[in-house]
Amino acid sequence: MTAHLYLRHFAAPFAALMLTLAVVWWAFPEQMPFWRSLAIVTAWGGSGLLVANLVLMVREPHIARLLGGLESMYRWHHRSGMIAYLLLLCHPLALALNGWVEAPQLAWQTLVPQAQSWPLWLGWIALILLMLGLATTFAVRLPYRRWRAFHFALSLGVLFALAHVYALLGGANTLLLLIVVTGVALGWRFIASDLGMASHPYRVTQVVHQAGDMIEALLTPCASAITVAPGQFVLVAFGDGHAYHGCGEYHPFTVSSIEADGALRVGIKALGACSQRLQHLEPEVLLRLQGPFGTFLSESLTGSPFVPQLWIAGGVGITPFMAALRAHACNRPTTLIYLFRKEADAAFLDELTALATTAPQFELLTDASDQGLPDFPELLGKIDQITAHEVFICGPLPMVEAVLPLLREMGVAKESIHFERFDFR
Amino acid sequence: MLKLFIISTVIFWLAVAGFWLAAVFITTQPVTVVVVEPAVVKPAVKGYLLAEVAGHARQDDCWMAIEGSVYDITTYLPDHPSAPELILPWCGKEATQAWRTKNKGRRHSSRANQLLEKYRIGQLR
Repeated sequence: MTAHLYLRHFAAPFAALMLTLAVVWWAFPEQMPFWRSLAIVTAWGGSGLLVANLVLMVREPHIARLLGGLESMYRWHHRSGMIAYLLLLCHPLALALNGWVEAPQLAWQTLVPQAQSWPLWLGWIALILLMLGLATTFAVRLPYRRWRAFHFALSLGVLFALAHVYALLGGANTLLLLIVVTGVALGWRFIASDLGMASHPYRVTQVVHQAGDMIEALLTPCASAITVAPGQFVLVAFGDGHAYHGCGEYHPFTVSSIEADGALRVGIKALGACSQRLQHLEPEVLLRLQGPFGTFLSESLTGSPFVPQLWIAGGVGITPFMAALRAHACNRPTTLIYLFRKEADAAFLDELTALATTAPQFELLTDASDQGLPDFPELLGKIDQITAHEVFICGPLPMVEAVLPLLREMGVAKESIHFERFDFR
Repeated sequence: MLKLFIISTVIFWLAVAGFWLAAVFITTQPVTVVVVEPAVVKPAVKGYLLAEVAGHARQDDCWMAIEGSVYDITTYLPDHPSAPELILPWCGKEATQAWRTKNKGRRHSSRANQLLEKYRIGQLR
């Protein structure tokens, strides 16, 4: 595994672990009864992880690069949040067990807030907010905007948890540091990201209807342009036009072309309420853009020119490959398997077909499967010496999950398979 | 992860319910959940010699001198979080150093400061 891959896999969990261990080390109790010690360790471990969890939620290109990319950050945002929750559930129970050693009544007294002081109430409010926030986090069927509003209950839970510790311990340096990091992370997320203070102003200068339910929009910078590589995505909040009303919230869009003047093209498929509305996007709409994010295809562009490549795209997953093909002439043997429901839905198909006839190193295989998954064994069987290929996959999750085990069965090394499984929830 | 969330949350509430049931149904020797009343606070600040403090060096009669003040913490002792063998040796003594170096050489918290103040009975002469 290269240093780059190590960074992508381990930077985010390493940062979260280090922060948490530092906090636990600082607070580690000496000469205390076992259950009370456990209560202290779980409380500080949980608090450290909660703060790390907020840092992993910050959408900032430099931080994302440092922590191995947004995909890894979000994966560990989820995991650190869950582990923090488990530790914080143990905290009151360990305190109760500490009382249990003396008498069951004392254990119960430890848990009941009305028998205790108000800082205990803060702790209970924090825990209940985390509980409710997490319960709604798992409700992925909720509309995104409502889901996001409920998800914010979790950050409120973190604030109550820190207030609980502050009320009990006062301004210890480590706690103040955690509060400052929390404030910066939340402030950055809400003010810089969600309110768009750190975004770049662009405007829509062209809208091309690529397929039945997909448009490609040309975004031209109003001020400075961002530097994007093929395979990366940007977060965009579209404003209003003459007849078009934007949703005003940030959504991720993969870049399909990087123009010489700093303009970008993004592919927008109608997948949800907002992207459905975006099908009616019109030129001159102003937008706020953040990014770029993502590392997909970075190995493709930097790897050996003698290693053949196999690209597998499903539906809108064609977009990053289009960006790569448009950015550089195909200088290594590359086979693109493009999967779609029907030809009318297949964006960029004419352009790809034309390229396949003119670029000697580029081969295009297409498959239209109206329902269900295509016959992957047959499709992959067409590839000569598949184990010699570097494989890049982009498409819907069921497709990725069907292809991955098959590739492994066919003998493709794990390190040679690249894909991004991204979910903003 | 959803399964983990559901299982852990259910176990948590079952445990809380278990503690409640245990408190209601398990009868042990009558537990006096001590509502700690501060020791008698003398209206006028009284001065004590360290020798006088030293006369209160038992678990059931524990005074300490901390940062120039004298505290009778007898009633608080059962509630102190650390092990008794850690705090009892300081009864009847000048315990400022122990107060300032609780855990890894750190002071007690500001909340502990406020709590301690309730047990102040005078100042050290």
